[in-house]
Amino acid sequence: GSGSGSGSRSVGPNGVDEDAIVLMFDNIADEDDPYVAGMEGISMLCDDLGIDALEDIRVLVLLWKLGANEKPAQISKEEWKKGCIELRVDSMAKFKALLPALDTGFLDRTEFKDFFKFCFQFNRQGTHRTLDKDLVTALIPMTLKDRVPSKRLSTFCDFLTESKDESYSRITLDQWTSFLDFCYEVEDIADYDEDTSAWPVLIDEYVEYLEELEKK
Amino acid sequence: MLDNGIKEGKTNMFGAKEYVTIYTTCYDMCTQRSPYNWSRDLYQRHGETIENYLTQTVLPALREKTGQGGTILLAELQHRWSNHQIMNKWLKKFFTYLDRYYVKHHSLPTLEQAGLRHFKSHIYDGTKAESAAAILSLINEEREGEIIDKTLVKSIVELYESMGMGGLEAYTADLESPLLDSTRDYYVKKRESWIVVDSTPDYLIKAERALAQEKNRVADYLNNASETKLLRVCEEELLEKVEMQLLEKEGSGCRVLLANDKSEDLRRMFTLFSRLEKGLNPMADIVQKFISSMGNDIIDKRKARLETEKDKNDDPKFVKSLIELHEKYLGVIKTDFAGHSLFQKALKDAFVEIVNKNVGQYTNAELMSTFCDRVLKSGGEKLSEAEVEENLDRIVQLFSYLTDKDLFAEIYRNQLAKRLLNQRSASDDAEKVMISKLKMQCGTHFTSKMEGMLADLAVGSDQKTEFDAKLKQHNSKLDFSVQVLTTGFWPTYKSPEVVLPEQMSTCMGIFKDWHENKHAKRKLAWIHSLGNASVRGTFGKKSYDMQVTTLQAVALDALNGGKTLTFTELAEKLNLEESVLKPLMHSLSCGKYKVVTKTPASNKINSTDSFKANPKFSSNMRKLRIPMASLDASHNTKRVEEDRSIAIEAAIVRIMKARKTLQHQQLIAEVLSQLAFFKPNPRVIKKRIEALIDREYLERSKDNNNQYNVSSPPPTVVLIGILALA
Repeated sequence: GSGSGSGSRSVGPNGVDEDAIVLMFDNIADEDDPYVAGMEGISMLCDDLGIDALEDIRVLVLLWKLGANEKPAQISKEEWKKGCIELRVDSMAKFKALLPALDTGFLDRTEFKDFFKFCFQFNRQGTHRTLDKDLVTALIPMTLKDRVPSKRLSTFCDFLTESKDESYSRITLDQWTSFLDFCYEVEDIADYDEDTSAWPVLIDEYVEYLEELEKK
Repeated sequence: MLDNGIKEGKTNMFGAKEYVTIYTTCYDMCTQRSPYNWSRDLYQRHGETIENYLTQTVLPALREKTGQGGTILLAELQHRWSNHQIMNKWLKKFFTYLDRYYVKHHSLPTLEQAGLRHFKSHIYDGTKAESAAAILSLINEEREGEIIDKTLVKSIVELYESMGMGGLEAYTADLESPLLDSTRDYYVKKRESWIVVDSTPDYLIKAERALAQEKNRVADYLNNASETKLLRVCEEELLEKVEMQLLEKEGSGCRVLLANDKSEDLRRMFTLFSRLEKGLNPMADIVQKFISSMGNDIIDKRKARLETEKDKNDDPKFVKSLIELHEKYLGVIKTDFAGHSLFQKALKDAFVEIVNKNVGQYTNAELMSTFCDRVLKSGGEKLSEAEVEENLDRIVQLFSYLTDKDLFAEIYRNQLAKRLLNQRSASDDAEKVMISKLKMQCGTHFTSKMEGMLADLAVGSDQKTEFDAKLKQHNSKLDFSVQVLTTGFWPTYKSPEVVLPEQMSTCMGIFKDWHENKHAKRKLAWIHSLGNASVRGTFGKKSYDMQVTTLQAVALDALNGGKTLTFTELAEKLNLEESVLKPLMHSLSCGKYKVVTKTPASNKINSTDSFKANPKFSSNMRKLRIPMASLDASHNTKRVEEDRSIAIEAAIVRIMKARKTLQHQQLIAEVLSQLAFFKPNPRVIKKRIEALIDREYLERSKDNNNQYNVSSPPPTVVLIGILALA
């Protein structure tokens, strides 16, 4: 019959090699679940790309662009396929070529907001809907570098670290996204009016903290 | 003949015969056909005659009297006016026929009107200023205490009134207006001298007198229409312009009067200032500040006491002082301020400020609840039924000013439970009365649990007889009764799973079976930390009836017969934790009645101690009550906080369900307005909003960070959960 030998490749829309895409995924897929690539596999991918899985924000940007939304700390096969097709990457070389474009500087405010939200969602652990404070103080400088004045970032992390409030040992999504909005909207805390603000109490208390610092 | 008639007419009255003659003459003259009809001429002649008479006779006479002093002028004017009225009257009578036909036919002023007009233009207009001045001068004399000829003044006033030709314009413009001005000047002078010299009460007495006098003056000889205007002038000058000075006068102002209980002076002040629009507001302000300061004094006294005395949840002195303060000023407002709403508000605002100022460890809500406990428990204050109700009434009034009413309710409920379960409530009726007073203040929901508790007890006593019969059947050696409590009505209590002596567990078993039979679906959970027992203890030759708790009875039973047990052994045998066993053993070995000996002896229980029944125990009393420290806190603060969180969330859900989208400040405002029993900080409300955002019931609006929307669609699970608790 008409043969499709091992040599023929399926070329999908966008002119990308879907089989190659699937093959790349199989390389990084979990041992127990071929449909999911967890942090181990993702680390391997990073190694191949020559970027630091833990420190380089481009990892998160990449996963975000690929659309790893279903569950934290992993990307599914479907998501991988769809994402790679959209990004038109079907080889390591193409991934490497993509790296410069993963700079967050290219994102406008709306896109960045979405990315920032993804950073939270992706970093959740297990069934938790919140992030541990320590993780937050690590992520904030990493994700918001160059987008938010560093003074703001460092004082916020100090504030969180120093806070003895039990309820701040975990940070919610609302608090996370509100912090970014706050940085955008309130550059000078003299403009901050707690009575009319709907900012989370965390932000109110952070502003109090900054005011105390100013006094000293 | 006419001329003569007039001249004569001014002094004599006409006889009937003469009258008829003249009348008929006129009639004849007017009824003839033209050119013999004399109507027009007669009319003209009438007018001319009067005119001539006035200008030639009356006016000179008046002129002669001017410059001789006001009264003389007035007297002459009165005389002339009186004459004129008579003349007018007779002329009108004579020439009635003219009036009836000629005047009407030609639409001319009537004879009477014509007569008046002539008087006005020839006499009145020329004299009115001077005579007004004369009158005003007389009035001022009268004000100074002189006696004046009121009749004379009154008749001149009548002249002014008549000169209005039916209206009051002449009076108003020519007499009243100058009167108001001169009155104003008069009282300005008076005020300026009084205000410097007189104390506020003295000044007010003078002002009151002045107002009364002016009112009488109007009644005596002025036109009624002047009363309001005249009094208004006095009020403005004597009261309004110096109100603040009077109220704040050093040594005699409003605050001083309050401080010295000057009831009559305060009453006068109130009556006078209520005449002014917004005259009472500054006064009510001072009253509020005064009551506040008295309240703050009471609070300061408590603060001072706490520096030397132990801080406890019971401070009857403090509560009584507040009640007394409240009662006192309730009375003052009623008697001195006619119960006026402005002053009631002043009292309320002052007390809201005072009652919510907490000092020390315990809130005023708790102090007030404990006060009720004293009133309601047996062996507390010795009060008659009427006194009890009075006290409760007054406490509820204070309670109405509390912001944290829910905290009061929680504490009250706990204390009520204690009273009920330990049978220390003095009167079931009194308990019901108090609950119904709270219900009236706050609604059914507020008191539903308390009422549930009372209901449980009522049911319990009903069922007791039935169960007693059952118990008899089983030949139990123990007298045993059970009180069933409905969960939710009562506070939650610790329930140690103590190991009970067999006799007790047998009784419990019998009850359990009986209860299950009656109420198959209900589940029973025993709370041994709450029960009471009566234990007959024989120490040597003497026996005592000891009123103890269930746990104490169990411990005594364990030590029966003279055994010695260590703390650890007891803990194991009875299956009790240290936190329970320690207070338990303390009550038996370190309290007033040391029925158990502790080795080594001390006032503190250590886990190394050992215990034995005290063979040397003796007391003069046969019946001993051996109290034990409560194992549960006085109330559950966490519970109150949790209930508040739920109430706030329920309010947010209710509001957002109706509005769908709402701006932040509006949401906060509406939540606050819906919460009747406590007032949370906006931050607390914000936290609940955040919680609802986290649970995905609410979301922040995408285009406006200050706005909230209900999530679409709202997760059903969350919604039901909240609404059930609402």
